[in-house]
Amino acid sequence: MSDVNEKLLVVSDLSTTFATAGGPLPAVANVSFDLNRNETVGIVGESGSGKTVLSRTIMGLQPRTNVTVTGSVLLNGNEMVGAPESFKRGLWGTEVAMVFQDPMTSLNPVMRIGKQIDETLRVRLGMSKPDAKARAIELLELVGIPSPKQRYDAFPGQLSGGMRQRVVIAIALACSPKLLMADEPTTGLDVTIQAQILNLLDELKERLHMSVVLVTHDLGVVATRTSRIIVMYAGRIVEIGSTRDVFTNHRMPYTRALLESSPKVSNASHTRLITIPGRPPNLLKLTEGCSFAPRCAYATDQCHQDRPELRPADQPGHSFACWNPLPVTRGELAS
Amino acid sequence: MSDIVTTFELEELSLVEKPEKKKPLGPLFWICVFWIVLNIVGAIFANVLPLQNPLYQDYAAINAGPSLHHLFGTDDIGRDIFSRIVFGSRVSITVGFGSMLIGFGIGSPLGMLAAYRRGRFDAIVTTFMYILLAFPAIIATIAVLSFWTPRSVFKIIIVIGLASVPLVYRVIRTATLSIATKDYVVAAKVQGATDRRILMKELLPNIAPIGISFLLIGVATVIALEGTLAFLGLSVVVPTPSWGNMINESRTVLQQNPWLAIFPSLALCLFLLGLNFIGDRLRSHFDVTEVKL
Amino acid sequence: MTDTTQPLLKVRDLKVTFGKGHHEVSAVAGVSFDVYEGETLGLVGESGCGKSTTGKALMRIVEPSSGTIELGGTDLTKLKRGGKQLRNIRTHMQMIFQDPISSLNPRRRVKDIVAEPIDCWKTVTGHDRDVLVSDLLSKVGIDPAVYGNRYARQFSGGQCQRISIARSLAMRPKLLICDEMVSALDVSVQAQILNLLEDLKAEYGLTLLFIAHDLAVVKNVSDRVAVMYLGKICEIGPADALYEAPAHPYTEFLLGAALEADPDSPMHSQVLEGEPPSPMNPPSGCRFRTRCPNATDLCASDEPQPQEIAPGHQVACHFPLSVTRK
Repeated sequence: MSDVNEKLLVVSDLSTTFATAGGPLPAVANVSFDLNRNETVGIVGESGSGKTVLSRTIMGLQPRTNVTVTGSVLLNGNEMVGAPESFKRGLWGTEVAMVFQDPMTSLNPVMRIGKQIDETLRVRLGMSKPDAKARAIELLELVGIPSPKQRYDAFPGQLSGGMRQRVVIAIALACSPKLLMADEPTTGLDVTIQAQILNLLDELKERLHMSVVLVTHDLGVVATRTSRIIVMYAGRIVEIGSTRDVFTNHRMPYTRALLESSPKVSNASHTRLITIPGRPPNLLKLTEGCSFAPRCAYATDQCHQDRPELRPADQPGHSFACWNPLPVTRGELAS
Repeated sequence: MSDIVTTFELEELSLVEKPEKKKPLGPLFWICVFWIVLNIVGAIFANVLPLQNPLYQDYAAINAGPSLHHLFGTDDIGRDIFSRIVFGSRVSITVGFGSMLIGFGIGSPLGMLAAYRRGRFDAIVTTFMYILLAFPAIIATIAVLSFWTPRSVFKIIIVIGLASVPLVYRVIRTATLSIATKDYVVAAKVQGATDRRILMKELLPNIAPIGISFLLIGVATVIALEGTLAFLGLSVVVPTPSWGNMINESRTVLQQNPWLAIFPSLALCLFLLGLNFIGDRLRSHFDVTEVKL
Repeated sequence: MTDTTQPLLKVRDLKVTFGKGHHEVSAVAGVSFDVYEGETLGLVGESGCGKSTTGKALMRIVEPSSGTIELGGTDLTKLKRGGKQLRNIRTHMQMIFQDPISSLNPRRRVKDIVAEPIDCWKTVTGHDRDVLVSDLLSKVGIDPAVYGNRYARQFSGGQCQRISIARSLAMRPKLLICDEMVSALDVSVQAQILNLLEDLKAEYGLTLLFIAHDLAVVKNVSDRVAVMYLGKICEIGPADALYEAPAHPYTEFLLGAALEADPDSPMHSQVLEGEPPSPMNPPSGCRFRTRCPNATDLCASDEPQPQEIAPGHQVACHFPLSVTRK
C-alpha cells in the first residue's frame, strides 16, 4: 500500500524568472501543488506555458546564471531550491529522474547503450562492473527491449526512436527513483509506438511504486493515465484537479478552449473546430489582470485589472483561477 | 449542451506588433569603415595629395625620424616614409580587392550553381576544387611568381586570385547547400520559377551576407599574403613601394631606423583589423536565423 | 459538391525507389488512388510509410521510379524534368510544407512572397497585382496594410503557414497537397489553420490531398481517407465509415492507439507490438503480416490486392475485418 503520511513532492509558491536582454521573464510564477506517492500527475499547456521550465526547476536543472528561483520544492523532505549542486546531484537518479523528449539527444550517440546504463549504476550505486552489466541487462529487459544481451552493445543510432526512448527510461529507472519526471516523452514518436511507451510507463510505475509527473501539450496522453491534471498558461496554474474534474467539470474557459480545439477521432468528419483567437502572451510584456483575458470571450473589466487567484471549486482538490468561471456542468464532456 | 457560447472564432487579434529592431552596428564599426574608406581614398588620390615624392632620395635626410617635413621619417635611402605608405597602400589595396574579385567572380557562381544543381556538375567540379585545395596555396603562389617575371601588380592579382578560387568555391557552395534544401526554395520551384529566378531572388539574398563578410576577411588575408610575398622578394619590384616591401626593407636597418618597420606594420595591421572587424560585424548583423515563437 | 464522374488526379502503381542494389529502399511500393474534384483525400500513416514521399512524387520534387500520375488527363510522369510543360502544369498543383518557418524566405517581404507565383508567370501586373495580393492576405487573416511589408522572419509558425497558404492560392490551383502542414503547430493554432483551410477550400473550389500522421486531424478535414503502411495503401474509404469500422487490422491498431482526450475512452489493451520492419527488407506477401495477429501462410506467400468490401471502401487484406460488425 502507498505511504500517505509524507507527500513525495511539495511545491510551494515556486517562481522561476529569467534575466533577459528585454527584462525579467517570469517563466513560472507562483506555482504550488503537491504529489503523493504512487500518483501520476499530468501538467498540460501549450508552448510558452512554462511547463518545461517548471519540470526542470523542480528537478533543479535550471541554468546557474541569469535565473532567479524563489519558493520551495520539497522532494521527499529535501529542499531543492537554493541547494548546492552537489546536493542536488545526490538526489538525481536515486530520488528523482527525468525522461526528456528527444531520445537521440539524451543519449550519447558514440557510447554503447549498455555502457550508458552501467555508468549510472556504477557512479550512483557503486556497483562493480559485472554487477552493473547484469543489472543493465535486467533493466533492458524490464523496459521491453528484445534480446537485451545483444542489444547491450548497440549504439543509439542503431535503434529506432521507440527503442531509444525505452533505453532512456531504463537509464532513468536504474537507481529506482521514487519520482519520474517525463517531459513530452512520446512527442514525435509514431502513434502505435506512443501507445507502447505510455503503457510501459504505466506498467513500470505500478511495479516500482513510483510517482510520475507527465508534462505534455497533448491532452490525449494524460486523459487515461493520470489521476490529477494541472493546466498551465503563461507560467501560472490556471486549473488543477482530478483528471475527471478537469475534463468534465472544468471551470476555466482556457481549459475548455484547449479541450475543444483539438480534433477528435470520435467526431464526424468536417466538424468545425473551436478556436482560441490570438497567441499565448509575450511573457516579457505581461499586462495586469488575468493573462488569458485578451483572448477570452468572457473577459470583463475585472479580468483585465485583477489577476485571479486559485479558488476552490465544488469538488475536493479542484481549483481554478477565474473571475467568470464556466457554470458547473454535470458529468458529460461539453461539446 | 452548448448554451454557453464557445465559438471564439475571430480572426487573429494580436499579430506581430513591432517592426523588427536590428542589432545596432555600433560606433566602432563606423570608425573602422571610416578608416578603411580613408585608406582607399588616399590610395586613389595619392597623386594629387600634397605628399612628398615617394621615389625621391633625399640623401640629406637618411634614416631620419619623424619631423614636420617627413611625417613618418625617411628610410635608409632618404625616401619619405609617409608618402611611401600612402602610395604603397595602392599596391596592397589593389592586390587585396582585385584578387578577391577574381576569386569571387569565378568561385561564387560555380559554387552556387553546383550546390543548387547537384548531380554530375557538382560532383566533377567539387572533386576538382577539393584536389586543388589540397595543394598549399601559398607554395603554388610562390612557385608561379618566382617564374613569371617581370612581376607586376597585375600578375600578382591574377595568381593570388586564381589560387583563392577553390576556397571561395567551397565556402559559397557550403552556404548555398544549406539554403538550397530549404522548403522555400522547393516552393519557388514548385510555383514554376525558373532556375535563374530562384538563384537571383531566393538564393543570392541569403548568401550575400556571408559572401560579403567572407570577401572582406579574404581581402585582409590577401593583403597579409602580399606582405609575406614581399618578404620573399616576390612582391612588386622595388622601388615601387608596398607595405610588404617596406617591412622587408626595414629588416636590414632595424637598429638604425625602427620607424621603417613600425609605420608600415602599423598601417598594415590597422587596415587588416578594420577589415576583419567590419566583416565580422556585418556577418552577425545580417544573421536572421533567430527562431520566433 | 463532389464530382464523381472523372477523377481530377489518377495515380496508378506509383513507385519511388531510392538507392541502388543492396541499399535500395522502396519508399513507395506501388500506390494507386483517385482524387475527385472538390473532395479532400486524407493520407495517413506512421513514419516511414511513404506518405510524404508520395506527395513529393506527385509534385515531382522527387522523381517517381515508375507508375503514372494523371492530372486532368495529362500524365505528369511523362513530362520532361525541368521542361516547360512541367512548369506549366505546376500552376495547377501546389504544395504546403510541414515547417512553416523554412517555407518562407526570411529575407523577403510577405507581400513579395505571396506575389511570387504571379510575378513568375506575369498573369497580373501593376495595380491589379497589388490588389490580388492584398486580397489573398486578407483571406488568410493577415492584414495586408499593417503586415504586408514585414519580413517573413518576423512571423510565428501559424502566421507563416497562413502566408504559405496565401502564396499557394495565388495561381488558383486545382489541387493542393498539404504535407503535414499542421504538425509543427500548437494545438490552438492548429485548429485555426484547419478551419481556415476548410473555408478556403469552399471558396476556391479546391481539391485537397491532406497528408498527416495525426488520425484525428486527418478525419477532421477529409472526405475519404487512405491508410498507408510501409509503402503501400492498406485501406481506403469514406472517412466516417473507415474510422467507425476499419477493415484492415493495421487501421484498427492505429485507431486503437490514438490517444483520445476523453478520460472515459476505453483503454485498448491490444497494443500493436514490435517495430515496423525495415523498408530495405520488407516482408514477403502482405507487408503487415509480421505484426498482424491474424496472419497465415497465405499472407506470407500472396500479396493481397485491393478489394472492394463496401461502396467506395477498398482494403488490401486476405482476411479483412467485418465492416458490418459495429
